[in-house]
Amino acid sequence: MLRRAGRLWQIRKAVYGTFTDRFERRLRFKRQSEGWSSVSAFGVLTRFAMVVLAVASTNVAAAQPPPAEESPQQTAQPTSRQAEIEQQQAAKVPTEHPYVPNTAERLFRHVDTILEGGTLAWHPFFENAYSGGGFTLGVGHVNYVGAYNYIDVRGSYTVTGYKRVEAEFIAPRLFNRRGHLSVLGGWREATQVGFYGLGTNTAKEDRTNYLFNQPYASALLTMFPTRRVLMLRGGAEFSRWSQEPGEGSFPSVETKYTPATLPGLGAQVTYLHTQGTVGVDWRTSPGYTRRGGFLGATLHDYHDRDAAFGFQMMEYTAIEHVPILREAWVLAFHGRVQTAFEKDGQQIPFFMLPAVGGGSSLRGYSSWRFRDRNSILVQAEWRIMVNRYLETAFFYDAGKVTARTSDLDLSGLKSDFGFGVRFHGPFATPLRVELAKSPEGLSLVFASSASF
Amino acid sequence: MVVGASTQSPRFYPDDPIAREPESQDASKAAPYDQSQIYDLTYNLFVNSGHKASGLRAKNINTIDEVPDSSWFTNRVGTRPITSEELVRGANVGAPPDPSKWVLIREKTTGAHPGFTATDAGGETWFLEFDPPYFAQGATGAVAIATKIFWALGYNQVESFLTTFDPKKSSIDPKATVRRPSGKRTRFSQDDMNAILETVARNPDGTYRVIAGRQLPGKILGGFQYIGTRPDDPNDLVPHEHRRELRALRVFGAWTNLTDMKAANTIDSLITENGKSIVKHYLQDVGSTFGMCNDLHEWDLSWEYFYEGPPSWKRLFTFGFALSPWQTVDYVEYPSVGKFEGKVWDPRTWRPQTPTTAYMELRDDDAFWAARRVGAFTDDMIRAAVHVGEFSDPAAEKYLADVLIQRREKIKSIYLTAVNPIVNPRLDTAGLTFENAAVAGGVAEGPVTYRASWMRFDNATNTTTPLSETTSATTTIAAPGGLPSSGLVAVDISATSDKYPTWKKPVRAFFRRDGGGWKLVGFERLPEGGSPSAEARPSKPL
Repeated sequence: MLRRAGRLWQIRKAVYGTFTDRFERRLRFKRQSEGWSSVSAFGVLTRFAMVVLAVASTNVAAAQPPPAEESPQQTAQPTSRQAEIEQQQAAKVPTEHPYVPNTAERLFRHVDTILEGGTLAWHPFFENAYSGGGFTLGVGHVNYVGAYNYIDVRGSYTVTGYKRVEAEFIAPRLFNRRGHLSVLGGWREATQVGFYGLGTNTAKEDRTNYLFNQPYASALLTMFPTRRVLMLRGGAEFSRWSQEPGEGSFPSVETKYTPATLPGLGAQVTYLHTQGTVGVDWRTSPGYTRRGGFLGATLHDYHDRDAAFGFQMMEYTAIEHVPILREAWVLAFHGRVQTAFEKDGQQIPFFMLPAVGGGSSLRGYSSWRFRDRNSILVQAEWRIMVNRYLETAFFYDAGKVTARTSDLDLSGLKSDFGFGVRFHGPFATPLRVELAKSPEGLSLVFASSASF
Repeated sequence: MVVGASTQSPRFYPDDPIAREPESQDASKAAPYDQSQIYDLTYNLFVNSGHKASGLRAKNINTIDEVPDSSWFTNRVGTRPITSEELVRGANVGAPPDPSKWVLIREKTTGAHPGFTATDAGGETWFLEFDPPYFAQGATGAVAIATKIFWALGYNQVESFLTTFDPKKSSIDPKATVRRPSGKRTRFSQDDMNAILETVARNPDGTYRVIAGRQLPGKILGGFQYIGTRPDDPNDLVPHEHRRELRALRVFGAWTNLTDMKAANTIDSLITENGKSIVKHYLQDVGSTFGMCNDLHEWDLSWEYFYEGPPSWKRLFTFGFALSPWQTVDYVEYPSVGKFEGKVWDPRTWRPQTPTTAYMELRDDDAFWAARRVGAFTDDMIRAAVHVGEFSDPAAEKYLADVLIQRREKIKSIYLTAVNPIVNPRLDTAGLTFENAAVAGGVAEGPVTYRASWMRFDNATNTTTPLSETTSATTTIAAPGGLPSSGLVAVDISATSDKYPTWKKPVRAFFRRDGGGWKLVGFERLPEGGSPSAEARPSKPL
């Protein structure tokens, strides 16, 4: 689900186009008129710009020598102001030369090229295989196969051994710029995903780990029929989930559970996953906004060709941003409800159940901390503008999982609170660092996307 | 000009003060170059913002403290009478475009507003810019108005006309291309045009209001920088940060809210004049004026640089409880004007998006010079210029003009009084006569006394010999007896005013015996090497 959310963000980013801080307004127009590649993405450029700016702020002065004033040649003493100036101009002629950019400027020209529509062929890739993988490093390479369409081949690896390799074809300007198509194929492996048992009343000490790997192939079409606000999305994915014993310092899941007590344990499930979304989105950008909101509902159908683990899931999302004091403050609210329904005679494997916990939901808890058939998450943030590129936020998260849909209410919620710093551009949040406190301790969150 | 003055040279030449900066050399080797915009932004934000002003006098001024005409600047308002008709015509010397047919020939290559390059029915090339839907008439109106104002202020401007673009009367040149994200240029399609038109304000009849800028003559060389000189232009001697008209953009920019002063909004063109190639320098894009560079929620623009440390730290450590002035100022917002006001605005705390080096080098004498030009705009001239914007809402037009008038008065009251405001000294048989620009501008009351210290001046050795002192309660002071019958005299003129103690610092005027009378050949408001005053220095936000 989170992978889907991450992909949703990426797709929306591509649909909307991209950014940079410097050409905010130009790109704002581009945002609505073009679908720039998601790989010339904000995170890449902003990180690069931050590094270069930091270097430049100390080195540029040295790198850009002040213009040398041409010393007047000691020729005949002029007898008029006109003659004096003309002598000095004549004296400059032998020293004439074309403008020579310094090293810093030459470096920045590459950034200009990217911002003006060029291509960043090689790019860093920080999305890991699955939430909870830890620090991630990755790289991708883009090849354009048309004016706007491209193929991005990329891979990432985390400190905990999560692996992800995939290739994605993006067509960002279908149907007169109303549609965005992603065709994705790849493989990933998460080696130590946490499982604490079902329900909210589980203990931190109950943690077990499991591993899964998954080859996948999908196609996702996102449409904005009116080019703004109304969003429709549909897609299909063919994949096989293979759950295996987990790695890491916690017990493996099969040491505490059996297939009889935990549906899907040790299973290999081949899914045809189809989905459809209807949404209205009036934010300035899903990656960063100070106003507007989003309402959406998504129906997922997971068809197991062996008719053992098929199920359906509904996901409802509501987001609202309330600007205060001319957007120097923003009160932001997020609500999400997920409900999963098993198909007749089938079960929902534990690793596909809705969950809360992690850097995008209950930030004071570890990833996938609570799992069950239903989940509810509510979040509130008080965002404080520091400047155009930096904001801080106090946040509060609460959520739970339930076995029954009727229990989806606001009682018995697990909660956390915290404070964070976000580096952002006009349309994206490339770096989010947060410290969250929950009854289970402190959590430090590093993310390359908005919280919601 | 002050530039390159040799110590062996006399202080004044027979042709001083010069009225025009000569361009004696052929500049045909000047080559096109576009500076990296990210570099320009970075340098301005992180280097210039900490730039310590040199305190040097502007180097392109003549000996009477004025800016001579040049390929950069032409003296207009404040130097000679400008009628409203002349102002409304501005830089426009040719015919407006014929909008009965547009042929799109390429994408728009500069500026933030959406647009493209097209030829009109007469086959002439124009750069077309549209209005964003939330600022209908605003972006185009700002260009139309600001080009008139900056032309009158003396800057080279692009010929610009408000006109219409009718998609039904337009076509795309088969050779027109656009650069794609892939890096390749492919044919400009109807969908490309639609992509632009979908994002701009449309008239009820399906046409679009556009501002059409005529293609500049000559070979386009790219923008000029606000620091250094062009190494490929032998006539370009004065470092740009020491050109008074570029420093003065800080005052003119504050007046008009020209927030986007980046180098990319300027342009150099290689033209032929009197059989010789010279580089002509334009302020190419002055459309980021009034409230038009503010996007819908960019409230801090014109109050803070894109990045500025102190207000950032303040918000960080107070969690935003310490309000910045842009959070409380009242705006009367018209779509065609944007966020533009004159009550709280202060030119000393006004901020462009990024500070240029010339902006940081502004001295009080530069600001005084600029303020006199702003003050030379009459109410009628301002209203005539604003009328060029062809706003459909008369209230918006009136509001914009009213705010410009209000801001003009603030500029006068701040900068004309910050230094000794004596101007236009004349020496004749009636004695020494001059004007007080602050008093004449209605922003100050006359001082108690004026004092003149008379000196004989040796032009060869640049030394003075005291003669005597005379005083007066008016702007005419008797000359002492015994003035030399030839050569030069220097006069230090100061004023005593309780309210303006800076007026005690004298200005120095030099007169040369010329036939039967005296000719003003030199004038110095502030000496060389002084630090920029508190008025000119960047102030902390309010």
